[in-house]
Amino acid sequence: MSNGILMDRRTCLKGLGASLALPLLDTMGWAEAVSGKASKPPVRLGFMYMPHGVIMDQFWPKDAESFLKSPPPALDSLRPILEQCLLMKGISGVPISPYNGAPHALELSTWLTATLPDPAKRSEVNISISADQIAANHVGAFTTLPSLELATMPQTWKENQEGLNEAYYSHCSFRSPTQVVPAEINPRNVFNRLFNTKKKDGKTAGLSSLDRSMLDIVLGGAKDLRKKLSPTDKRKLDEYLDSVRSVERRIAAIEYRQKEAALEKAGVSSSKRNDSDSPPIEIKIPEGDKRSEYMQVMCDLNILAFQTDTTRVSTYIGSTPNGVSYPELGFSNQHHSQTHHNGNKEKVDKVAKITAFNIEQFAYMVKKMHNLKEGDGTLLDNCIMMWGSGLEDGNKHTRKNLPFIIAGKGGGSLNTGRFLPDVKGNQGDLLTTLLACMGVPLDRPVGIATKQIKEITKSV
Amino acid sequence: MTLRVNFPNVCRQSITTVIFICGVIGSWAITGANEKKIEAEFAQQKADAEKYFQKKVVPFLKTYCLRCHQNRRPTRAGVNFNPTFKAPGHAAFSELWKKAVARVDAHDMPPDSSKKQPTAEERKIFSSWLGKVKYLSKKDPGEFVIRRLTKTEYGNTLQDLFGVESSIVDSLPDEVSGEGFLNSLSPLQMEQYLAIAEKVLDKVLSSTDSKPTPFQKKWVGESPPEADARKAAQTIAKSLAHQAYRRPPTEKELEVLLQVFDLGRQKKLNYLASVRLMLKAILVSPQFLFITPAEEAEAGIVPLDDHQLASRLSYLLWGSMPDEELMKLADRGKLHEAETLKAQVKRLLMHPRSRALFDGFGAQWLGIGDLENKVFDSKKFPQMTREMRSAMVDEVRLLFENVVRENRNVMDLIESDYTFLNQTLASIYDLEDEVKGPQMRKVKLTDTNRGGLLGLPGILAATSFPNRTSPVIRGVWVLERVLGDNVPSAPPDVPELEPQSEKSTEALTLRERTERHTSDPVCANCHRILDPIGFGLENFDAIGRWRDKDDNGKAIDATGELPGGKRFSNPRDLKSIIAGRVDAFSRNIVERLLAYALCRKLEGYDEIVVDRLMVEVARNEYRMQELILSVVTSYPFTHRRIPKERNSK
Repeated sequence: MSNGILMDRRTCLKGLGASLALPLLDTMGWAEAVSGKASKPPVRLGFMYMPHGVIMDQFWPKDAESFLKSPPPALDSLRPILEQCLLMKGISGVPISPYNGAPHALELSTWLTATLPDPAKRSEVNISISADQIAANHVGAFTTLPSLELATMPQTWKENQEGLNEAYYSHCSFRSPTQVVPAEINPRNVFNRLFNTKKKDGKTAGLSSLDRSMLDIVLGGAKDLRKKLSPTDKRKLDEYLDSVRSVERRIAAIEYRQKEAALEKAGVSSSKRNDSDSPPIEIKIPEGDKRSEYMQVMCDLNILAFQTDTTRVSTYIGSTPNGVSYPELGFSNQHHSQTHHNGNKEKVDKVAKITAFNIEQFAYMVKKMHNLKEGDGTLLDNCIMMWGSGLEDGNKHTRKNLPFIIAGKGGGSLNTGRFLPDVKGNQGDLLTTLLACMGVPLDRPVGIATKQIKEITKSV
Repeated sequence: MTLRVNFPNVCRQSITTVIFICGVIGSWAITGANEKKIEAEFAQQKADAEKYFQKKVVPFLKTYCLRCHQNRRPTRAGVNFNPTFKAPGHAAFSELWKKAVARVDAHDMPPDSSKKQPTAEERKIFSSWLGKVKYLSKKDPGEFVIRRLTKTEYGNTLQDLFGVESSIVDSLPDEVSGEGFLNSLSPLQMEQYLAIAEKVLDKVLSSTDSKPTPFQKKWVGESPPEADARKAAQTIAKSLAHQAYRRPPTEKELEVLLQVFDLGRQKKLNYLASVRLMLKAILVSPQFLFITPAEEAEAGIVPLDDHQLASRLSYLLWGSMPDEELMKLADRGKLHEAETLKAQVKRLLMHPRSRALFDGFGAQWLGIGDLENKVFDSKKFPQMTREMRSAMVDEVRLLFENVVRENRNVMDLIESDYTFLNQTLASIYDLEDEVKGPQMRKVKLTDTNRGGLLGLPGILAATSFPNRTSPVIRGVWVLERVLGDNVPSAPPDVPELEPQSEKSTEALTLRERTERHTSDPVCANCHRILDPIGFGLENFDAIGRWRDKDDNGKAIDATGELPGGKRFSNPRDLKSIIAGRVDAFSRNIVERLLAYALCRKLEGYDEIVVDRLMVEVARNEYRMQELILSVVTSYPFTHRRIPKERNSK
């Protein structure tokens, strides 16, 4: 029921009309590149979410042939780059029995895990690591930030469905079966986190090498504490230890980056990106409180993070499955209430508008990526950007043909510019395939996956 | 006996049990002989429940359920009763029993296609199982897993410790507190803790000795001669860590802090900068960020140590670290003593800081946490400004706080002849001529339809749509938030009502349209219970103003009947019917407060605990402070179970 985002945004944006300056970025190269200009840009993976499904006949293209020429209305904003996009119908969601009374509580949390929560521990968080975090475990070490988690609304919705822990409602990223990764909703915080900007007195805000040594000692002390704790307490404390270690690694990565940049400036190192690469985009935080502008800043930050190789994995919860409304579209009704339209035209239209609005923001991001040069192609060529929803049809809570849009060629691994009207597979299969396209070696498939969806990849 | 709504999936203990135990317990501190009597009673109930399961429940399951819900694959809907035969009282099955009984009660199960159908009597026997299964639970306070401070608690603690504004933590992600609290910690949060520590220290420490801050004067003092530096640092570490860790630091913990100090010196930092680094280490230590025990304990059930108790109490009632008085009592090992604890609870509750109990618990319980940010249709309700919405929340808070501070009967929350208004809010009551200015103050009410939660504009607005009332949401609110019933969520595929302006429904009142619910048998089961309650509040519009006619200009019909035949014709009647259900209402508060205080769901043995607490609450005439006292002196609040180390994994 909350529309808290309006206020939160206003508070955080107040007086931030200016654009934010980037430290040290123009000289940064790919972290793991050893030398030479020929190094291949890495593949990046991004996810963007909208809840409650779509109006199906306005989302799915009529057939494979008409996809590029006359795409359905929902995809209108993607027209200029449909060649870079891929749609496939026939990807089913996780069957949610025994949680039939919790269609919305599980939309988001099953989205990237393709797994159901453990029924015996439903009041706690107990699901599985999500696809984005699997990717982050693999490529996170190369960048100063292993992964970036963004959201538009605070993740605080409280509603008991089937006795499930409320965190399932508004989180999509899980670092481990029990550890939720919260998202950042304030653009300025995101910026500071990405680029570790300096304070007024010239000192960096935290994250210095001295902090790293201090954390080492604290970590040692925490291990002493761990010895006298109960097994359950130990597991809790392990999350702390893990997070501290991850901050330490991040400090190390930042230091490495800074050293590289300094060498570069002195003309010593040559791990430079191509001269023809586009310069980092500018971030302008708007004064107003329009949802579209806010979402676009978040998209810009995502682009910039990918462009500067600050991270290679991102999730953006564009909207959460709870009383969110869209005043910008000219009506006050809440998204969820309109999706139970039972064919009522007025409501169908409103849901279609909300869907188009969300896809427009995604289109804003991928179009911009398409216009940024990188290596021999564009930034988008080296990305896998997936937009989607955890339901097919919000009216009936179906999950048979989940709506997904994939944009980007994944470094040449994805065969885009197509609509595949009859793919057989599930959400886990899709995620497994995307991770494979990114080059992430998997020791087991994601969630309920049993295979890869080869039809979408280039090798077929 | 009070009326119980017979909901499809409501599980309740039988009232007779409460009355039965009632005769056994004598004083609020259950001790000695009494304790033995209760335990003996409990053993008897347990034996009875085991017998009931074997004799009545197992045959029912075997006859009607096992054909589909057994070990053999495929198990239908993931429901399998085989494992319950060995340990029917295991907490893992409590959800299963609730749902099974709900389905059987609602005649959903066994499915119509099944030839074997239980008789009404058999269904009743099966559903009575819910009242007995709790006696199979082992006596168990639950674990008190080391708990991270919530964002609010962390901010308040920094404020108390350093005198900085609690808003210094604003950059942390917002989170839910109490039951459903996540208690996890991500790298993002860790980074933010580090950055916030930096900010705090920037604020409270100057970079030199020459212009010391008040904090510096109190805790750090002047830089000592080089030879005494480490010793001086140790003194600082000892006293500050005692506060920050909310218990005396161990020798090892002190040594860790001094190592950090040494690190600073090795890196050629001066004394003050090295102390600063040490303070930073305190602020990112798990002992500060989590509530941790000081001493190792053997597996088994142990009472909380006094420092843990002080923290648990203080974070519950004040949302912050224990103050000096609590800390001193904990240091002296006195806090757990019954009279001391009671006096401290009263002291904390009487202090203005106990507002934290409303902000954390009350607002969540009553579902008005989001009202301040809720968007209303600005054409229809231009008066719903931010100022108005926050006055509405304040009114609810002040009523709650008044009941706490004046130790009133909890029923004051349902029926009171006073409320709290300022001029803005008074316009909702048509009292703007009598209440002037922005200050909230106590106002005597003459209109008996008002007063109590059900007549508060804040509650009425929070349970409405942006542009109209919702009898259904209001009905659910009363059942869940007031009476503690569990309303099942609507089945999928249910459309909402058309707006009143649409042609097909133009001539109907909202009531007439809502009554369509009861013409569809799928909806009727629940809605014949839900809707009438909401209808009883239809005289209040979507922002809580009184009205005699609805949006179509038709007269409001606020009459209705609750199951059990209690009739009402206006909000006043409805309130007094609910006021008659003091046991359900107070039990609901106890259950919710206990779950909030323990930061977990209640299950298994907790139900027995609540049964016993209810006896105390009734004996104390449902007074709020005594109710809270019962909760914070309860077995699961004051004890914890330490599980055994599992070697196998």
